[in-house]
Amino acid sequence: MILTSGKLYDSSLQGEILNGLERKINETRERETLQAETVIAAVEVLREKILSGEFDERIDKLADSGAYGAENLRGQIAQALELLKRENLEYKLQVELGLGTGGPSEQKSTIRTHVLPLGTLFHIAAGNMDGLPVYSVLEGLLTGNVNILKLPQADGGLSVEILLELLQIEPGLAPYIHVFDTPSEDIAAMQKMADMSDGIVVWGGDEAVKAVRRLANPGAKLIEWGHRLGFAYLSGYEDRERELTALAGHIARTRQLLCSSCQVIFIDTEEMEEVYGFCQEFLPYLQRAVDELGQREEETVGTRAEIALRRYGDMIDRVLAEGPQEKKAEKRGVYYGRGCSLTALPDSALECSYLFGNCLVKRLPRSRIFTQLRRYKGYLQTVGLVCDRDRREELTELFAACGLVRIMRAGSQSDAFVGEAHDGEYALRRYVRMVDVEL
Amino acid sequence: MVRKMNGMKMRRKLFNTAKPFDTRKTEMRFVRAMRENCRFQYENCPAYRKICDSFRFRPGELKRPEDLGRLPFIPTVNFKRHKLFSVPEERQLLQATSSGTSGRYSTIGFVFGDLWCGLKMVLKIGRWRGLFSLRPTHYIVMGYKPHRGNRTAVTKTAFGATLFSPALSRTYALKYSKQKQAYEADLEGVITALKKFAAPRAIGGRGGVSGFPVRFMGFPSYTYFMLRQMEERGLHLKLPQGSKIMLGGGWKQFYKEQVDKEELYRLAKKTLDVDEENIIEFFGAVEHPILYCDCERHHFHVPVYGRVLIRDVDTLKPVPIGQTGLVNLLTPMVKATPILSVMTDDLGVLHEGRECGCGLDAPYLEIIGRVGLKDIKTCAAGAVELLDEDTATKS
Repeated sequence: MILTSGKLYDSSLQGEILNGLERKINETRERETLQAETVIAAVEVLREKILSGEFDERIDKLADSGAYGAENLRGQIAQALELLKRENLEYKLQVELGLGTGGPSEQKSTIRTHVLPLGTLFHIAAGNMDGLPVYSVLEGLLTGNVNILKLPQADGGLSVEILLELLQIEPGLAPYIHVFDTPSEDIAAMQKMADMSDGIVVWGGDEAVKAVRRLANPGAKLIEWGHRLGFAYLSGYEDRERELTALAGHIARTRQLLCSSCQVIFIDTEEMEEVYGFCQEFLPYLQRAVDELGQREEETVGTRAEIALRRYGDMIDRVLAEGPQEKKAEKRGVYYGRGCSLTALPDSALECSYLFGNCLVKRLPRSRIFTQLRRYKGYLQTVGLVCDRDRREELTELFAACGLVRIMRAGSQSDAFVGEAHDGEYALRRYVRMVDVEL
Repeated sequence: MVRKMNGMKMRRKLFNTAKPFDTRKTEMRFVRAMRENCRFQYENCPAYRKICDSFRFRPGELKRPEDLGRLPFIPTVNFKRHKLFSVPEERQLLQATSSGTSGRYSTIGFVFGDLWCGLKMVLKIGRWRGLFSLRPTHYIVMGYKPHRGNRTAVTKTAFGATLFSPALSRTYALKYSKQKQAYEADLEGVITALKKFAAPRAIGGRGGVSGFPVRFMGFPSYTYFMLRQMEERGLHLKLPQGSKIMLGGGWKQFYKEQVDKEELYRLAKKTLDVDEENIIEFFGAVEHPILYCDCERHHFHVPVYGRVLIRDVDTLKPVPIGQTGLVNLLTPMVKATPILSVMTDDLGVLHEGRECGCGLDAPYLEIIGRVGLKDIKTCAAGAVELLDEDTATKS
């Protein structure tokens, strides 16, 4: 299904539509610039409609379809509705795009700086979060851009449905929204979309980002929202019981699937005995957190078996990789719970865990933090920092210097707030140009 | 240091067991053969030795059946990442590979003695299931036509199965196209051949001229699709008496569409007039080349040549009979490759033999699924790559 200029077309017409798209977009951009207020007003109406229950039936149907996971979908809608409040959108615009005015030079100068849309954005959305494709387009609209969206394969129809609703509320948005369900293999079509765009917004893992870099011309502006890795760092406690409970709760709740989820718990030590000791102490916390959530639909016996098998297979690989002269200096420890586990490893690498409550635990003394973490620049995002009170400031500074962009307390690594940056950047700022104009 | 071993006396004893399902009475014989095999692997395969050492396990610890659970197992995925051999490749008589749906495959080497044991096993199990016949037979292979570039065990065993009786003809459902350099399905060709082989009094006036029985061998999924197509087209044939449908090689990529076996039996009766007792299913993997053949009640009893341990999906510790878990397969059949205890990525349950009712008291294995993750949504770096990595191990 293709949605362009407010109308739906069959995917088979893609070639034809793409051939005429650039001309259409040019006409739109020559004629006018989309105002943020138009978008905010439309979103406000849509939000009220959802709140009034107008879409409950459709949401229930989507939730029951199993494509989104019922609780997840409702939780995400609630979160999205909060973000989409008028005052929050206005605040976002102000924080992210606000320019200082009345500065000393402005009084004397005849030059003024204006914030204008980049022009045409080509969004390549990943299927890793429901509603993400729409959110990406919405950011593009707020900044006044024309948006071409390539849907992820696993979209399930939600994105087009929401955008159609928005277009009904505000038909004036039609020339700014063009949605294609092009498969990722159709490089030629994506190339065309890329060629007519001023910026390419890509969401996804390393493979997706690499593919877009191959696709883009050297002059194209790439806006990459790649995947990141989160971890926890432990160096003493303020309140042991509360902090360990919070950390375990976060691991269980996010199932370690978010960029901000904890993949590895680093302990401020060089001694493996301390790492083992921590595993023993922490496993009951993790078990309790997993039990409290109950079994999730996705975590079938098959999932648990797959994870156990991978963990074991990796361990066999590590054994085979050891040289014959290497004595097993450190034993490998897996601490098994039901539906969760901790794996103690002697290295200090930041890597993806086995997910779903199967965390890695490693040693990383304070003195090695900087050199060790610098290796993962480009992937660093959130640290859940657990430490005694008088070390917090010092460790926070150190992590910030390494490249971390969210330094949170245990349990709140993934908490969102209005006006927050995304992976260390104000997203809207990447979708605009600053234009200096002399009066 | 490589110690010279005698000729695997214990293994010979096990594979000479008169009754192939005397599993209960051969427990100690099995353990002794496993200890002998484990010792050989430990002394001749440095990688295997490392694995045992990392678990602080010594072959001598295999004394009683319950010790088998402590024997380190190797997941099939590790055989895809590493070639593990205990006999130099030049001394191996044959190498077989798994199908490698993910582009990676296991290579398992065999020496003469390994294949000799395999032959003894096939003869005994084949005789028990009435697979041997002197009547010439038309074979329909619902699998790959052998081709130089195809070393997969599934192709070899499918071809091997056409040797149970003298073959008049062999028709293949998957043929190698030189032009495309790939295999192509040819269900039409199979249906045309079937029409030719069916008995003269076939319903609908479609008559065959041969009169010789027909045997199918190959993937259950293809067989099922073909039968379903025949039903949709209203094709009802009557295959000559003595015709059999043999299924093996797993459900491959159609795993999710795994049909109820009853449905397959119904289709076979309806479209080909083959009774349920003439439908025989095999189960096996290149990493565990023991012939699992179903009984008349379609259960996979564990033959004397192997043992099955079901392991907990979290802790990988053996669970009692009747509980679901990961399927760990053990056999001392192969000397050239350390496959004495391999972990599949199948989920299964072991049942008491007497629950079957066919008369065999050897426990039987029921495969109920496969490990795997469902549509996971994640933005953690590396997670997608981790989840996408295919661990398909079915041969």
